[in-house]
Amino acid sequence: MTSPDEIVSLLPDYLPRQRWYGAADLELVSVDVAAFDMVRPEWPMLGWLLVDAAFGDGSTATFQLPVGLRPLEQTERFLEGKGRSFLGDIDTESGPALVYDALVDPDLAVALMRHIAPDEEVSRVRSLNVEQSNTSVVYDERLIMKLFRRVAEGPNPDVEMTEALAAQGFEHISAPVAAWRRDGRDLAVVRQFLEGGTVGWQLALTSLRDVYESRADPSEAGGNFAPEAGRLGRITAEMHLALARAFGTEEGDPDGWATTMRQNLARSRARALDAKVIDAVYDELGGVKDPGRSMRIHGDYHLGQTMRTDKGWYILDFEGEPAVPLAERRSTSSPIRDVAGMLRSFHYAAEVALVERGPASEEDELRTLGRRWEQYVAEAFCLEYFNTPGIEELTPAVDEDRKRVLEAFVLSKAVYEVGYELAHRPDWAHIPLEAVNRLTT
Amino acid sequence: MPGSIDWGDSRWYQRAIFYEVSVRGFADSNSDGTGDLRGLTDKLDYLEWLGVDCLWLLPFYQSPLRDGGYDISDFFSVLPAYGDVKDAAQLIEEAHRRGIRVIADLVMNHTSDQHPWFQESRQSRDNPRADWYVWSDDDQGWPDARIIFVDTEPSNWTYEPMREQYYWHRFFHHQPDLNFDNPEVQEAMVDVVRFWLDLGMDGYRLDAVPYLYERDGTNGENLNETHGYLKRIRQTVDAEFPGRVLLAEANQWPTEVVHYFGEGDECHMCFHFPLMPRMFMAVRRSQRYPITEILAQTPDIPDGCQWGIFLRNHDELTLEMVTDEERDYMYSEYATDPLMRRNIGISRRLFPLLENDRRIAELFHALLFSMPGSPVLYYGDEIGMGDNLYLGDRDGVRTPMQWTPDRNAGFSRADFAQLYLPPLMDPVYGYQAVNVEGETRNPSSFLHWLRRMIEIRRQHPVFGIGTFEVLSAENPSVLAYIRRLAMDDGHESIVLCVSNVSRFAQPVELMLADLAGKVPVEMIGRVPFPPIGELPYFVTLPPYGFYWFTLHDEG
Repeated sequence: MTSPDEIVSLLPDYLPRQRWYGAADLELVSVDVAAFDMVRPEWPMLGWLLVDAAFGDGSTATFQLPVGLRPLEQTERFLEGKGRSFLGDIDTESGPALVYDALVDPDLAVALMRHIAPDEEVSRVRSLNVEQSNTSVVYDERLIMKLFRRVAEGPNPDVEMTEALAAQGFEHISAPVAAWRRDGRDLAVVRQFLEGGTVGWQLALTSLRDVYESRADPSEAGGNFAPEAGRLGRITAEMHLALARAFGTEEGDPDGWATTMRQNLARSRARALDAKVIDAVYDELGGVKDPGRSMRIHGDYHLGQTMRTDKGWYILDFEGEPAVPLAERRSTSSPIRDVAGMLRSFHYAAEVALVERGPASEEDELRTLGRRWEQYVAEAFCLEYFNTPGIEELTPAVDEDRKRVLEAFVLSKAVYEVGYELAHRPDWAHIPLEAVNRLTT
Repeated sequence: MPGSIDWGDSRWYQRAIFYEVSVRGFADSNSDGTGDLRGLTDKLDYLEWLGVDCLWLLPFYQSPLRDGGYDISDFFSVLPAYGDVKDAAQLIEEAHRRGIRVIADLVMNHTSDQHPWFQESRQSRDNPRADWYVWSDDDQGWPDARIIFVDTEPSNWTYEPMREQYYWHRFFHHQPDLNFDNPEVQEAMVDVVRFWLDLGMDGYRLDAVPYLYERDGTNGENLNETHGYLKRIRQTVDAEFPGRVLLAEANQWPTEVVHYFGEGDECHMCFHFPLMPRMFMAVRRSQRYPITEILAQTPDIPDGCQWGIFLRNHDELTLEMVTDEERDYMYSEYATDPLMRRNIGISRRLFPLLENDRRIAELFHALLFSMPGSPVLYYGDEIGMGDNLYLGDRDGVRTPMQWTPDRNAGFSRADFAQLYLPPLMDPVYGYQAVNVEGETRNPSSFLHWLRRMIEIRRQHPVFGIGTFEVLSAENPSVLAYIRRLAMDDGHESIVLCVSNVSRFAQPVELMLADLAGKVPVEMIGRVPFPPIGELPYFVTLPPYGFYWFTLHDEG
C-alpha cells in the first residue's frame, strides 16, 4: 500500500467516535493527510498517519493515527468487542483488509515499540483505557508507551518537563526512556511503568471511607492520610525547586495573575457566581509586596496526577490542562497555583467519598467530618511544602502575602471548576460552589 | 513430617514454623506455681498436634531473674525452679521423638553481676578473671554508644568500689558486658555453645548480638570484630554440630541486619523487626504500602539463610532505631498516630492489639505464613490469649498458658496465691473463655483454623524458600504476591496470595497474563477458580479476606 487515501475516506466516520477526539460539539469540515508512513509493509501491516482536521468554528487539530491492517477473512481474538477501534475495510495489493487502531493489536503494539525504542525487548502488551487525550500501552508490566493523539508543533510539555526534571536529578517522576519525535513534534514517549502504584486519588478515598465509617476524627482515624499528604507536600516543593533550576524563574506578577484569573472568570460564564465578591479576592493580589517567583509549573496538579508506590510518591502527567491551548500551557505562573490545585483536590475527594455513601441521615455530621479531613490533610501538605528548604525563594515569604496568593489561586481554580461542572456534570457543581462560597464570605 | 525429624536436612529452619515458649509460663509439673521443663515436656503432644517444627525456649539458665532470665549467673545449669540439666535433655529427646526441634535463648554479650566470673573479676585488678569484663578508670569511654534502657540507666558505666574502677554495660547495670577482646572469654563462650549442643539442642537464638565489642570513635554496634566472632561461632557449629541453627536478634534496620548473615557464613537466621508493626499499620491505614515498602527496602539474603518473622513476641519495637532520614516514614506514621504510640511501645498480645477481631488475626497469620521468612509463633497466641497491662511491661504478656477452664487455667495445681503470675480472668480473654481444651473441642475455633493453616504451609515448601514478587494492583487495599519454587521433579510450584487489608470488601484486577492458562485452586477448600486468561484476573475479597491459590496447568 502506498497511498493512504482509502483510509482517509474512513476517518470522518471514525474520528468522532474516539474518546480522544475532543471536538464532539463541532462540525468536522475536512480531514487531510499531513504525513504518512508504512512502518511495516507485510501482514499484519502497520501504517502511520498524521491528519489535519478542520472544524466548523474555524479551529483545527492534528491527529496521530497508527493503523493496523489484517486480511479481512482473518478473525483475531484481540478484535472482539473492539468495534470502536475499527476504521473499516479497504482493498490493498495483497487483498481486502480490515483497518483498525494498531494499538489494540498486540503484535503491532510491539512493532511500534521496536520502531520507537529499538533497544527495548518487549513481548506482552496491555492497553489502558482511561485517558481522554492520549493512548497508553503497557509492555510486560515494565514499560509504558504514551502515544499523543492530538499533536502540535513544538515540544509536548509532558516530555519536555519530565526530561528536564530527570536532568535535574528529580527522582519522583517516571523519566522518559525514549521519545518519538518527527518534524519538531513529540509523537510518543516511553517510560518505566510504575509497578505497584496506586493513584493518589484512590488512596485519599481509601482514607475517607475509613474516616466516614469509623466517625473518628481524621487525626485519630485508622485511615489517617496526613502523613502521606505531608510527604506529597515535600515532593511537590522539590519538584518546584527542580523546575526552577531547569527553566529559571522571573519576578512574580500578581497583577498579571489577577488578569488571567479575571479572564477565566469571564470565560466560565457561570451566572451562579457573584463576580463582584470574587473580584474582591483577586484585587487582594494587588497589595502583595512579595509574590514569590513566576515559573514553569505542573499546571494541572491534583491527586489524580500523583501515584503512591513502594518507593514513595511519583508525579505524573505534565501536559497541563488539556482544554488549554499548548502555548498557554507552557506559560509561567506561581508555584502556588499547583498547591491550590492539590488543595481543591482534597476538597473534591472529601465530597466524592461522601457522595459514594449515598443519602444518609447523618449527612451533616459526615460533611463536618469531611471538612475536617480536608483541613487536616491540607495543613499537613502545606506544612511540609512550605518547610522544604529553598521553597521560600519561590513563594511569598511573608505569611500574609502567602495567604492572599494561595486564596486567590484556590478561588480561581474553584471558579474554573464551577464552569466545568455546570457544562458537564451539573450534579457536581455544588462542590466548587461551596468552595467559592467559603472563600468569598 | 510430624513425628519424625529428617536429620539429613541441614536447612530445615528455612521451612520451619517456630514456637516461642516461656518455660515458666507453660505448664507446672510439680505444683509449685512456676512452670518447668517437665511440664513443658508433658505438653509436647499438644505442640505436635498443633504442627510446630521447633521450640524456642526463653532463658532457663541459673539466674537471679532481674531481667527475665536474660541475666545469666551460670551458663551450665538450669534454674532450679525449672528443673535441671537432665530435665532439659529429657525435653529435647521427647521433642525429637515427636519431630520437634528445640533451640534456646543464649546471651553472649553479658552475664548477671551474680555470675562467679564477675564476682571474681570485681575483686581486684589482678585476679585471673580481672580482664573478663570491660573495666576502666573513668566513666568517659565510648560516649557515642547510646544508652538503651534510658528509663533506668544514667550511664553505660557503673562504679565498682572494690576495684575502684568502672565496668561497662550496654543494658542494666547488673548485667556487666563480657570482654570479648580477651581470648579466654572468647573460648569460654564457645564452650557454652558446645555444652547445650552436645546435649542435643538444635541451636540458639542469640540475644543482643550487635554489642559484643567496643571500639573508640564508634557507637559500639555492628562492629567488624563482632561479626568476626559470630563467624567463629558459626565455624564451630558447622564443624562439630552440622544442621544446628543460629538465629540472631539484632534490633536494627533490615539493611544493617543483613550483615549478620555474612556471606552465608555467620548466622543462619535473623529476625525481621519492622515487618510486624508495618502489618499493623497497613490494616490501620487500609493500604498495603507500609508492608510493601519495607519489603522493597529489605535486601536479598545469602543462600541458605532465612528471616525470622513474627506477629508478637516478648520483644518490642523501639522507636530509637528509626531516626535516619530514610526511616522518615516510620517516624512520621508512628509519632502522629495515637493508637500506634499507645500500642507498639508497650507489651500487648496479638488479640488485644487487634481488638479481638478474629478476621484480622486470621489475615495476619495468613500473611505471616506466606511472606518470605520462617514464622515464629508466641505461646498462647494460637488460642487468642490476652494480656494484663497492670502486671507491668514485661509480665503482662507472660501470664500462664490457659489449658482448661479449671482452677489456675489448668496450668498448675498449686495454690492460686503461689502462682508466679495470676492467669487472666477477665470475661473476654480469661481462661474460662479462652483455653486449649475448649478450642480443641470446638471445630470452628481459631486454634483449629491455625492448625489447618500450619498443615497447609508444611505441604508447600514454596512458602519457606520460594521467590517472592509483589504484584501491581491499583486498589491500595489489596496486597497480592506470587511465590515460586522450582521443584526437584522439574515442575514449578507457584502460589498466588491475595489479601485485603481493609474493613470493606474490595475488588482487584491482577495482571497475570504471563500465567495465562493456569488454574488457581484455593488452597484451604481445594476449589478451582476460573482459569487465568490474557485479560486482567478479577478477584473480589471480603473484609480482611485473603486467598491462597496454587496455580495448576489447565486440564
